[in-house]
Amino acid sequence: MKSAEYIANLWRSTRSTLFRRLFLDRQAEFWVREIDPVHTLTGIRAQVVDVIAETDDTKSFVLRPNAAWRGHRAGQSTLVEVEIDGVRVHRFYSISSAPGQALISITVKRVPGGRVSSWLHQHVGVGHVVGLGPASGDFVLPTPISARLLLLSGGSGITPVMSMLRDLAARSAIEDVAFVHYARTRADVIFGDELEDLAARHAGLRLIVCVDDDDDAPRGFDEAHLAALVPDFAERSTFLCGPGALMDRVEKLWADVGASHHLQRERFVAAPLFTPLVASGEGVDVRLSRSQRRVVTRGAGTLLEQLEGAGERPANGCRMGICRTCTCLKHSGTVENLVTGEVSSEPDQEIQLCISVPRSDLELDL
Amino acid sequence: MHLGTAFGSGAGSVMRPGPGTPPCNSHGKKEVSMTHQNKTLTREQADAFGRELLALRQEVVADLGERDVEHIRRIIRAARRSEAAGRVLLHVGIGPVSFVLGTSALALSKILENMEIGHNVMHGQYDWTGDPDLASQRYEWDLVCTGDDWRHSHNYEHHTFTNILGKDRDIGYVMLRVVQEQEWKPVHLAQPILAALLALFFQWGVGAHDLRIDELFAGKQTSRQFARRARPFLTKATWQLFKDYGFFPILALANAPRVALGNLLANGARNLWAFAVIFCGHFPEGVRVYDQAETENESRGEWYARQLGGSANVEGGRWLHLLTGHLSHQIEHHLFPDVPASRYPEMAPRVREICARYGQSYCTGSFRRQLGSVARRIGRLALPGPRRPVAAKPVAHPAAGRVASAWIGRRAA
Ligand SMILES: Cc1cc2nc3c(=O)[nH]c(=O)nc-3n(C[C@H](O)[C@H](O)[C@H](O)COP(=O)(O)OP(=O)(O)OC[C@H]3O[C@@H](n4cnc5c(N)ncnc54)[C@H](O)[C@@H]3O)c2cc1C
Ligand code: FES
Repeated sequence: MKSAEYIANLWRSTRSTLFRRLFLDRQAEFWVREIDPVHTLTGIRAQVVDVIAETDDTKSFVLRPNAAWRGHRAGQSTLVEVEIDGVRVHRFYSISSAPGQALISITVKRVPGGRVSSWLHQHVGVGHVVGLGPASGDFVLPTPISARLLLLSGGSGITPVMSMLRDLAARSAIEDVAFVHYARTRADVIFGDELEDLAARHAGLRLIVCVDDDDDAPRGFDEAHLAALVPDFAERSTFLCGPGALMDRVEKLWADVGASHHLQRERFVAAPLFTPLVASGEGVDVRLSRSQRRVVTRGAGTLLEQLEGAGERPANGCRMGICRTCTCLKHSGTVENLVTGEVSSEPDQEIQLCISVPRSDLELDL
Repeated sequence: MHLGTAFGSGAGSVMRPGPGTPPCNSHGKKEVSMTHQNKTLTREQADAFGRELLALRQEVVADLGERDVEHIRRIIRAARRSEAAGRVLLHVGIGPVSFVLGTSALALSKILENMEIGHNVMHGQYDWTGDPDLASQRYEWDLVCTGDDWRHSHNYEHHTFTNILGKDRDIGYVMLRVVQEQEWKPVHLAQPILAALLALFFQWGVGAHDLRIDELFAGKQTSRQFARRARPFLTKATWQLFKDYGFFPILALANAPRVALGNLLANGARNLWAFAVIFCGHFPEGVRVYDQAETENESRGEWYARQLGGSANVEGGRWLHLLTGHLSHQIEHHLFPDVPASRYPEMAPRVREICARYGQSYCTGSFRRQLGSVARRIGRLALPGPRRPVAAKPVAHPAAGRVASAWIGRRAA
């Protein structure tokens, strides 16, 4: 057994070295993509097979992934890659469909001025190919499934909990599920019809939709109102996803009643959404993700000088922004290019250390 | 700074003495071939000049988009298809016609891969796309020179120290005397033959360039350092030889000799072409060299001025630009090494206009003129002759350290 595995590994690595050294890998990759753009030897890609308008500002994209897709668990998300005017951009989207199907779907709300969501809405139609990352995240139903569940969402935060509900329905496992959703108006409720339909067919599903234009209920989230609707909320295994303000209040309520351990959360916006900008570039915290070290900047020097001053040895050459030897992936944070004045604040952008100065705390791939 | 006053006969602007300053096309007005005298720029003027070029760069960078990605992907598609067609013709064809067609298709794909794709991608011209296939620091090309050696010797050394004697090892590739400012040595008597050999085996010259064999002989590097430098090159070269003269011929069974010969000729054609293009870029008449003292505390603007003074363009149509990887626009390439090369033709008239306003000559000519000029030089400079001093810069330099505060130039380690 051991030796068979050894031989198999040796064969695989030899084959990949051979293919790379003889440039056969890129020829193969090229022809595979020429034949069908959704196929690739190096990653996950998916083709859009349907686009569904859910509400005025929300669309679902039904995708057929290639063989590299390894499936997902209900509640997980995937890093979607699109090419906007020649530039590859990535955003996370929760998978809204139930697991175990050949097709998956993501449901995207158009954020005003949002780069990726607007682009998906305007330019992506049937036949379009996008890149995907493997399904990730631990916002998933526990195994075995707890009997009493509370799925709590607001706005587009419904997507991961919808996947959970669809999963439970497909497995006929809806025993006692309270599904509470907050939206601005009735017309803004994503998956409204399907939810009604599920509630009609599953006795164990209690559907509570709170909308601001409803005269009987308070506007938005209200602690007392929730406690009245779901009196046993603190004992339920709860899954929460929604706008930051809603999540903060729910978290506080659960903490107040000592039920935080029952609460699972998914945030669509990375926790520190906004790191303060430091105009001088001084006293900035630079985390180096590979070496696990950190450097605090002193004075106004370039990142290359700052790192060198702290004893790091990043690769460099011209030291004036021409040769790109010092090119480095910036995972997060904002830097300014001293030569051109360009500011980079998108996550995972490549920057040139020798002509960049930090403008916020940073994480670099060094 | 107001340009009108900056370039009057004011105190700052000095006419370069320019011994034997060359006949290079003057810009702006009609095509006049005249002895052009470059104005020597003061640091302030050079920086203003550089800022105008940077503004032009920013304008183009802001406009980069789908069109540019489409362009490079189209070229990649052409290169891959032409490689496949070439191999099929060589492997299964019979007779001379399919041999010639197959070899040509293979040579074309190698030229595109080397010039328009590999060279430009490795400069970071497409890093902004975020496409891993176009990432400068990871690209590996179908050439015996390793991507890493190239990024060091070319992107860093050649592009930073362009035409500085003793620092730019691309001047004559350390073996040839291509400018009169180089010292004559008896070995230069053989340089017409050396140059022909270098042209035929150019990829080996490029591949071994960063090993610094000359420094090994001069005792400036130890044999251990040399071995460490040589290992990646030797590994890559072995694989390349195996690919071209082992793997593919064996795959062709009875057609093996034909395939091996086709590969040899395609490599040779690419070598000759690349040599011609590169030597036309820096060594025709009209291009000047610099000495180390003069460029010691150079500002960013002076770097721009040197890139212009040290490069020469070749005029031609779209196909010439494509096949040279747009190195026919060597000047624009040296001013904007990380801007997608297919933008150089549209930038060129603007660059010429800026150069004209700053009294800087812009060296351009037909392929025949530039190549002829280089060939004559190689012949002429083979013979003993006095070393010409580098045209020294008459403007006094401010002390080091001032540069950085003004406009980020090269910063010391
Ligand atoms: C794990 C995870 C799962 C996600 N799942 C989904 C999903 O299923 N459906 C979905 O529509 N989105 C989801 N998102 C959010 C999504 O990744 C994008 O952030 C969102 O689509 C906006 O991207 P954009 O490029 O359009 O906007 P950007 O160009 O990034 O931002 C434009 C402006 O909008 C603000 N902004 C950015 N994101 C938000 C937001 N979420 N809410 C309010 N303002 C914002 C920014 O601060 C900025 O001012 C998820 C995010 C994460 C981290
Ligand atoms: S060191 Fe050359 S670009 Fe930074």
